[in-house]
Amino acid sequence: MQKKLFVLVLLLVSAGAFGQSKFIAKNAYISFYSSTPMEDILGESNEAVTILNAETGEIGFQALMTTFHFKRALMEEHFNENYMESTKFPKAKFNGKITGFNKEMLKAPVANVIITGLLNVHGVEKNITVNAMLGLESGKLVGTSKFKVTPEDYGIAIPSLVRDKIGKEMEITVKATYLPFGN
Amino acid sequence: MKIKYIIFAGLLLMLIGAGIGLKMFFKPHADISKLKAEFKVEASALIVEFEQDENAATAKYSEKILEISGNLVSKNKLPNGTDLLVLHDEMQGISCQLDSIWAANNQTTIEALETGKTVIVKGICKGYLMEIKVSPAVIVK
Repeated sequence: MQKKLFVLVLLLVSAGAFGQSKFIAKNAYISFYSSTPMEDILGESNEAVTILNAETGEIGFQALMTTFHFKRALMEEHFNENYMESTKFPKAKFNGKITGFNKEMLKAPVANVIITGLLNVHGVEKNITVNAMLGLESGKLVGTSKFKVTPEDYGIAIPSLVRDKIGKEMEITVKATYLPFGN
Repeated sequence: MKIKYIIFAGLLLMLIGAGIGLKMFFKPHADISKLKAEFKVEASALIVEFEQDENAATAKYSEKILEISGNLVSKNKLPNGTDLLVLHDEMQGISCQLDSIWAANNQTTIEALETGKTVIVKGICKGYLMEIKVSPAVIVK
């Protein structure tokens, strides 16, 4: 009985001492954008999940491909069925680390950081390095990034008929407002 | 004389084709409030199913219309104005983003919702990312 109590107290104390060692955003924004002569293609998801480890600067991102919404239902259909094959590859993932991370970065106003890690899209994994902004914005920890990816790098085949009409690279925008997450 | 008919028939076919093409191109998004749910489930039972075998549950429910009843634990608005309801558990429950058109016409229903009470939502199940994602969704009761 006493031993149990001791463990419990120890757990509580250690939880307090280390504080919020993780930050989470369950409704992070991810979009990808491509301009075509016909019309602009914009897919947006507000359902990405991201966790930031406040001790190590490691950052993880996951998004369900089917949560991307488009202006037109047909675009959504093509995106999931023809390009991303969402049934086969339901999630896009990123696992990386903030270069030169120190804990003060999470308490300072928004500033430029560099994040390097593995991006997994359509079942293909690639090492990427992106510029991002991270820091406090009206009292909340906010992370944003904008970078470009080439669909072909991830084995996404775009029919030659439309290939010339879509920009070679797609612009990805990420925005997350993090909340402290216990344990 | 005959050639005239052939040209006419050809033009007619082209028009029909173009019509179908345009209709497909401008096809609107599905109106969830008018569609029938394929599964009626309890929030807690659905979570257990996803936790036990994510792949099987994803195959079963992903992109299907679900009617889910569960305890409303939070009600929020995302930065883009989307109404977000969370059922059963704040961290590992069911996250429902309401259909923006439906929500715009039903703000009083949304405002009347109280946390801690049971709510029934209908929406498209997207899969599992720490929590079950349902969007777009509408409130049934």
